[in-house]
Amino acid sequence: MVSMNSVLFISFLLFSVGVAGVLIRRNALIILMCVELMLNAANLNLVAFARHAGTVAGQAFALLVMGLAAAEVAIGLALVVALYRKKDSIQVDQINLLKG
Amino acid sequence: MEQLLAFIGHYMFLLFGLLAVGGAVALVFSKNAVHSVVGFLFAMLNVAACYLTLDAEFLAVAQLLVYAGGIVVLFLFVVMLVEMTKYKEKGLFQLQTPWAVGMVVVGAAAFLGVFWKTWFGPNAKVALTLNEGIVGTLKVGSENAQAVSRGLFADYLLPFEILSVILLVALVGAVVLAKTERV
Repeated sequence: MVSMNSVLFISFLLFSVGVAGVLIRRNALIILMCVELMLNAANLNLVAFARHAGTVAGQAFALLVMGLAAAEVAIGLALVVALYRKKDSIQVDQINLLKG
Repeated sequence: MEQLLAFIGHYMFLLFGLLAVGGAVALVFSKNAVHSVVGFLFAMLNVAACYLTLDAEFLAVAQLLVYAGGIVVLFLFVVMLVEMTKYKEKGLFQLQTPWAVGMVVVGAAAFLGVFWKTWFGPNAKVALTLNEGIVGTLKVGSENAQAVSRGLFADYLLPFEILSVILLVALVGAVVLAKTERV
């Protein structure tokens, strides 16, 4: 039996690595991948609690989160491509059009 | 035998979970974007293996199909479309990296304190696993897909339909955003 603590711990590690990646990387693609990592950490928690409660509700919602992640990646990558066309760069610190 | 399998399952989960964290670290800290995508793929495969040890077989297969089959290929296409070579010399990390790492370490330390208390503190709880009373109701193995589909199409039909609309909007939005102006 996988204990809940180890699931929470692994999911916490994945989430922290994702947060760190979003905060420190300059590349917009890497930032998108790190957001995916955070969504996966949340999914892991959903599955673990579904297993603890003995219902499939958590697994169903994990599937929904997966679909949402796919939609988010499609939009994000389209934005990255559009940014590259407009600014010739996907380094997020060079995209400062809204800076006062 | 049952006990041995349960015992091994726990360590398999920890193994795959730590491998997933390793893939995530490789994602964040590699210089080449293609290496990052490979690290992402490795992390996603290991998360799928974690789902298997958590009795979510259908979700594991869906994870393989959606991430390894779809999202990673999408990322690779965009890495190919976006020329990375001219940014090599401009540095990998943001200016606020020391602050960001400090904040993440502080947050992580707070969470680790909670974990420490639940494992070793004076009020350490017995590890939470499957509820003993509901072992029979949990659908695993070949019944897992049936149970998940019943959950999706009967109990949670409205979120499912909303997700389909969101996917449609994302599809149209991606086409509009990525379209060239001239056409």
